[in-house]
Amino acid sequence: MIPLYYYLILSSVIFSIGLVGFIIRRDLIVMLMCLELMFNAVNISFVAFSCYNGSLTGQVFTLFSIGVAASEAAIGLAIVLALFRNISAVHTDEITQLRG
Amino acid sequence: MKPATVELIFFIYFFVALTTLSVLVVAARKIIHNAVFLLMFLINTAAVFLFLKAEFLMVIQIIVYVGGVLALYVFAIMIMNIKEELKHSKYIKFYGFGLLIGAALFLGLVYFVKDAVQIGQLLPKLDSSYLGKLLYSYYLLPFEILSVVLLIALVGGIMLAKKLPKEEK
Repeated sequence: MIPLYYYLILSSVIFSIGLVGFIIRRDLIVMLMCLELMFNAVNISFVAFSCYNGSLTGQVFTLFSIGVAASEAAIGLAIVLALFRNISAVHTDEITQLRG
Repeated sequence: MKPATVELIFFIYFFVALTTLSVLVVAARKIIHNAVFLLMFLINTAAVFLFLKAEFLMVIQIIVYVGGVLALYVFAIMIMNIKEELKHSKYIKFYGFGLLIGAALFLGLVYFVKDAVQIGQLLPKLDSSYLGKLLYSYYLLPFEILSVVLLIALVGGIMLAKKLPKEEK
């Protein structure tokens, strides 16, 4: 059996890549996709803890996390669509209405 | 081959595939390519779940993410029909700071997880009914709250995305 921290390092690599992508990309949809990457990294570490510690609680939390991720994607895409429809902005630096 | 060797080979495959696909999700040029790479990433994640004895979660991952969330992304990309993103730069101006923040977070995470040890037993071979019993007995209240969250997300998504009537100016 391979050690537990291999999976944790895999999870932290994916989480860091998702965070970097969320910070440096300009497109709103790609930023939401990077959020999905981070959700999946956390889910991998939950399931790894569940498998290596002999408890099903991690899998239940992964189920909740998947549900929250689905609702987050729906709301986020609706906001992006409303922004595109009203001020036709798809990049983050074009949304400057609150700056005054 | 010994089972441990096979497991290590599979893990190396998962590591290489997931890392490459997530870098491609961040770095691809056209948004629809990002969506396709995200699709492959999610299917590989489902395989990792199967590898960690969570076969119910593998099915849920494929149904919810690949069937629901990714279809939503593809529909949003098709509705917006963006063409001019190819002319602009895809990163912000100071992307070095983002890389620095990511590297710092990664080093901190590795510092925390490097002496994670296994306490207790491995998960025995279980079928999904144990997960269902746990979900409907001990975690019943969070389950109900999650259903309310999903309902509110549904209503809010429709309200946000629907066409507003023209304002009188």
